[in-house]
Amino acid sequence: MQAELRKWRATFEVSWTNHLAYRLNFILLVFGPALVFFFIKYNLWKSIYTMPGITVLQGYDFDQMLQYQLLVLIVSLMAQGHNSMKLADDIRLGRISSYLIYPFSFFKFHTASFLAFQGIQVLICGFTISFLMIIPLVTFSDFNSVMRGLYFASLVSFLWFQLQFLVGLLAFWLEETWILRVILMTTAQFLSGAILPLEFYPQSFVKFLDYTPFPYLTYIPIKIFQGDSINLLNASLVLLFWSLFVYAINHILFKRGVRLYTAAGM
Amino acid sequence: MIKTIKKYSRVYRHFVSTSIALGTSFRLHFVLLILMDLLFYFSSLASVSFIFDHVNQIGPWQRTEFMFFVCFMLAVDHLHMTFVSESFWELSHQIRTGSLDFLLLKPIGTVFHAFLRFIRPASALNIVVTWGLLIYYGQAIGLLWWQWILMPILMLLSLTLLVTMEILVSCSMFITIESFGINFLRMQLQQLARWPDFVYRLWARRILTFGLPVILVGSAPVHWLLSPFEFKFMAYMFLAIIVMWLIIAPVWRLSLSRYESASS
Repeated sequence: MQAELRKWRATFEVSWTNHLAYRLNFILLVFGPALVFFFIKYNLWKSIYTMPGITVLQGYDFDQMLQYQLLVLIVSLMAQGHNSMKLADDIRLGRISSYLIYPFSFFKFHTASFLAFQGIQVLICGFTISFLMIIPLVTFSDFNSVMRGLYFASLVSFLWFQLQFLVGLLAFWLEETWILRVILMTTAQFLSGAILPLEFYPQSFVKFLDYTPFPYLTYIPIKIFQGDSINLLNASLVLLFWSLFVYAINHILFKRGVRLYTAAGM
Repeated sequence: MIKTIKKYSRVYRHFVSTSIALGTSFRLHFVLLILMDLLFYFSSLASVSFIFDHVNQIGPWQRTEFMFFVCFMLAVDHLHMTFVSESFWELSHQIRTGSLDFLLLKPIGTVFHAFLRFIRPASALNIVVTWGLLIYYGQAIGLLWWQWILMPILMLLSLTLLVTMEILVSCSMFITIESFGINFLRMQLQQLARWPDFVYRLWARRILTFGLPVILVGSAPVHWLLSPFEFKFMAYMFLAIIVMWLIIAPVWRLSLSRYESASS
């Protein structure tokens, strides 16, 4: 058990260092897009709410919309920053051969690496939330909402990791997986309420979305942060179901993919 | 001059033919690229359409004008995806691995080769969608025949301004060792250009017009198409293109002097 924990810890530390080796690159990859995304939406909604006669849209006044968009920033930093670029490169360039003979599995290695990334993201999010509360641009109904929100965003990050892992594993079959990553990002942003609150979407469309995991990626975590009456247990179970479902697919894909693996460059 | 143009045309023909051969080698990859672009077009249009389900206008524009702007930017984006996008990603790889050496040794302009080498044939097919949408919304706002004739020129001007700015941003790849993030920064410029100027607050608008003139990419031509007697934005756009073209060569040379030629 202790030996196993040491492996997790060593991988965590190496990954932490790797992620922060090129700090400017890390900031541009993770923080930059989220900030620009927020900057555009702030300006867009400000220009809409300054139109004469517009004070409330679908239950949101400007302050509430601003809060929503800031929480999108926090949730996307906390839960949707990870990508499977390295995983896909490892498979494509034949670098997973070493994992196959190490006494630490491929999945465990990438999970530990993800946890290191998530550790950095939690620190960034903590700093961002504190800063936004001091200004004050974001207000929370109580401390409990913040903790519930952070807990749920952590669960979302795990589902996001599984989805990214799934895309990365497709490198066993595909020459390039970046297209699938972009498709996943575009679809998730649009359907999860990251661009607009779901109240702005046609009702029939939102009903359809209820049967998908997408609202749980952004919209539901934001509502939990805002202290809305969301059944946390139910929401967690839904996320757990989707995470296990994708995990099972990943397990099958890895087993089948390894059979096709040619260890390019060996 | 004509000899040089002929030489570069011949080289570009080879770029196109090798890119087609490369792009069609992996069929699923080819189809997924088309799907990716279509999803992006759909989400961009649907987001604006959903907003207009609840408001009558944003700034001075109503739904049709705004949708026309979005379609214009999608058409520019389509040209960008087809003709230049891939080369920026490759450049980052070439600088990191040192394979840019081979490019520097060739008897051809390095900027030409570095930024126009790769073409995406799959994205090219989406021209039917982007121009179909542009024609639909162009007719809805009542564009005249001469405006349609000028449309491809305006689009090329927009693409030129955008790509020029991106080349300047990409020069910083020579300074950072891992330059993947610079490409993400470049993509953020595109994000900013996808919204009209009046959406931005006054200070942001000034910076994005005169400092980093990214909002001129779409706003200048579309404003001019909607109000042909107002030349202000187009004048800014021409000025921005001229200034940026003038500084590309020295900035590129300066950046090359920082190139470390990794692993050679």
